[in-house]
Amino acid sequence: MKVTRREFFKLTGVAALAAVVVGCDWENDPVFSHRLEDAKEVTTICPYCSCGCGAICYVVGGKLVSVSGDPDHPINEGALCSKGASLLNLNTVYNLRTHDPELNPNRLDKVLYRAPYSQTWVEKNWRWAMDRIAKKVKETRDESFERQADGITVNRTKAIAHLGSAALDNEENYLLAKLMRSLGIVNMDHHARL
Amino acid sequence: MAYAVLVDTKKCMACRGCQVACKDWNRLPAGATKFRGSYTNPPTLEAHTWNHLIFSETDQGRWLFANYACMHCTDAACVNVCPAGAVQRTKNGTVWPDPDKCIGCGLCVQHCPFHVPHLSKTTNKMGKCTGCAERTSQGLRPACVTTCPNGALQYGERNALLQQAKERVQSLREQGFAQANIYGENEMHGLGRIYILTERPAAYGLPENPCYSASAWIWQLARRPLGKLASVGLFSGLVVGFLRWRGDRIQHKGDNTM
Repeated sequence: MKVTRREFFKLTGVAALAAVVVGCDWENDPVFSHRLEDAKEVTTICPYCSCGCGAICYVVGGKLVSVSGDPDHPINEGALCSKGASLLNLNTVYNLRTHDPELNPNRLDKVLYRAPYSQTWVEKNWRWAMDRIAKKVKETRDESFERQADGITVNRTKAIAHLGSAALDNEENYLLAKLMRSLGIVNMDHHARL
Repeated sequence: MAYAVLVDTKKCMACRGCQVACKDWNRLPAGATKFRGSYTNPPTLEAHTWNHLIFSETDQGRWLFANYACMHCTDAACVNVCPAGAVQRTKNGTVWPDPDKCIGCGLCVQHCPFHVPHLSKTTNKMGKCTGCAERTSQGLRPACVTTCPNGALQYGERNALLQQAKERVQSLREQGFAQANIYGENEMHGLGRIYILTERPAAYGLPENPCYSASAWIWQLARRPLGKLASVGLFSGLVVGFLRWRGDRIQHKGDNTM
């Protein structure tokens, strides 16, 4: 095909006009990648109020990236309130300036001990804390242990109580109940007294 | 097909799950807030707060709650005024801001009738609700809708939600809420956020008859066709210039050899 100069200008003009009138669709929808595609799902229970809503933690490469309500959980069916929705922030917060995720600096990661009548917290290690708890439990139990009451064998202590939680899962509740019963503790309660 | 969020203010209990879930999913930092006489906090949307709950107390001692975020207007001021084309309306009806294209000029902040976009002081980019586009494009619901405990927020096909809203308003009227109405059906040629209200929209802090200024409208008229005309003109100019330069060169070569 031979195109003269004049014809070329005509064609260019027509093409330009057509493009303007028809309006070529240069703007396409952006393509989005999904952050949770390769995430491993770990179920947990919200630690806050006594409802005990289920949540899913999304873990990528050993790091927590997101938490959302568990749709399969019978209590909340995927929903979470503001407290539950903030579960991720127990671990990760976003920097106000850079928006980068970082470990929550307010999170306690050491044992703090305040002695009776003291006003200050002292840092202790786990070994010390566990030993002290065990010692106190043993002491109290030995002092208050009843073998018999009204001629019936009871083998119990009424001096220690255990407060459980709706925020524990089945396995934790089973282990705690087993431990308490083996110590002879009968005052076991639960914070979800709805 | 247009999708939308249905906000049933009568079902909302103001737990603010939506506010927190939005921050967590979109990786937005939490700023310190203080009490200013209203439970609405932060008091306005911010570049890093894309979604907040408006608490209004009526004279009768009743509370009105409304989840407030980008309305994803069909005829959106921000899309029309953006000189960089950084705000676009996707095929499922989300008004999506592209942070990579944003030049931080703030025109959208000035023109939005809902005061939704805000410029970030640290990054100098506009921040607003993205409709959780990366979730909805994968078949998930937006983070705020997913977390809502009592179905006050719903996500779905806009026409179906509108139908549902009309039925709900009818039933609310029968229950004695004579003022029950729908907000967002025709505002800005249809909002991507439909509200079921029991009072006038102003009582919830929603603007009645939202519109944007004439300058934004003229900008929209001029930018699209003229911009394309200019780019086509520039391209054809380059082609013509090249051809002429080449023609001249061939002619000169011819002159030299002869």
